[in-house]
Amino acid sequence: MTTAPTADQAMQQFEHTTSRWGRLTMSAVLITSLAAPILLLILGDFGVTFNQLLTAYLAVAAVYLVLAIVEPITYFPILGQAAMYQAFMIGNIANKLLPAAIVAQNRVAVRPGSRQGDLVAVMAICGAAVVHVVSLLLFVGIFGTWLLSVVPEPVIEVAQLYILPSILGAVVVQALITVKQARSALFAAAASLFVVFALVPLVPAVGAFGVAIVVLLTILASWFLRNKAHDDRLNRPETPEAGQD
Amino acid sequence: MDPATSTDIWSVAQSPLLWICALAVFGIICLQSWIYVRAAKRAGEGVGISRGDLNRAFRSGAVASVGPSLAVVLVAIALLTLFGTPAVLMRIGLVGSAATETASATIAADTMGASLGGPEWTQQVFVVAFFAMCLSGAAWMVITLLFTPLLKRGGNKLSRVNPAAMTIIPGAALLAAFMALTAMELPKSWIHVIAVLVSGAVMAVLMAIATKLNIGWLKEWALGLAIIVGLFVTYFVHHG
Repeated sequence: MTTAPTADQAMQQFEHTTSRWGRLTMSAVLITSLAAPILLLILGDFGVTFNQLLTAYLAVAAVYLVLAIVEPITYFPILGQAAMYQAFMIGNIANKLLPAAIVAQNRVAVRPGSRQGDLVAVMAICGAAVVHVVSLLLFVGIFGTWLLSVVPEPVIEVAQLYILPSILGAVVVQALITVKQARSALFAAAASLFVVFALVPLVPAVGAFGVAIVVLLTILASWFLRNKAHDDRLNRPETPEAGQD
Repeated sequence: MDPATSTDIWSVAQSPLLWICALAVFGIICLQSWIYVRAAKRAGEGVGISRGDLNRAFRSGAVASVGPSLAVVLVAIALLTLFGTPAVLMRIGLVGSAATETASATIAADTMGASLGGPEWTQQVFVVAFFAMCLSGAAWMVITLLFTPLLKRGGNKLSRVNPAAMTIIPGAALLAAFMALTAMELPKSWIHVIAVLVSGAVMAVLMAIATKLNIGWLKEWALGLAIIVGLFVTYFVHHG
């Protein structure tokens, strides 16, 4: 009998393909991005010592290594396995890829975290990736120096300073409309205000963990203070879901 | 010319080798997207989502990222004179942002007693800074490659114990991440507060109109419009 694949099988195959190729493509980008400076150092004669390289890296790592560890863990519950290999390769997660995923989930009316939601997010991130690559190649790669000469300095200055708040304000509103979890939204708002205006000013060292702490607090509060009436409804219908790995 | 004293960054930064690496990276990103689109379309039927909806999702994602992409372009071109084209493409095009990369380069240059774009910003300093930026950016990918399979296993276990977890946690995490990121912008200056409020208000109005009159394309373009209005207003507040 050749029936259409069940949801479980279809999703399993999707996870299999995307995790295998996601890892492969990400590894290829990882190697290429490291090969660039290393080949430059080997082929050119810059008189740079190993110590200089190590010192420079350690100084940068002291600031950013913690973020590099915390961010992938923080974003995993939002992105899911497949999109992780897209997002942490392309970057621009909060200002481009996730907003694109939220817009698409809202447009197609699917819930984030559901199977349909995951597929829609992956498609949206693919669309965003194409625009990302084309816009950078075209407007930075080819016309970049020309653009720099015609765009007035004050415009670039404003873009540099206020690009992030101008994106985030809109994305929060769109996320609220798309996710439709009023309780979680309240917990998230309370946790954000607490961390940004109380915790970080008191203990500046937690700064790098700010988003992660808010995410953790919100997940815990949303989970333990959830409307438990929903659980029974969800637990009853066929739920050998994701039963095998 | 001695690389320790030459400030002619572009003769190094525009080397064909760096261009090849930058284009290779972009090629791999496209290849990955192509594989993912095919996999999603194959799974769509079984999961109960139509091809039309998946295509609409792709288009929505593309349209929604036009605004943010153009904003990123404006910031990226400002870095061209410092790093040259391929290095900017590689660092902004991959995990990382203009702010992160500028800060990383500043820190790295500082260890050699130089400042970004200053008279000591020599070929030698540039190469060291570029190396430090690439290695630092690689950490995100290494951690993702190491941790994603582990986190996936944890997620599977959790959804087996209680399926309700998967209906609550992703949405809660999404709201939390964006509210936290937004809240962090607020203390920076009162113009940041205005930017957040204006772009949020524009989005709310556009979404209300789009839902009421059932205008699909407006839902896709709303983000771009909100960003433009937000930057427009802050331009006049900042320079006015």
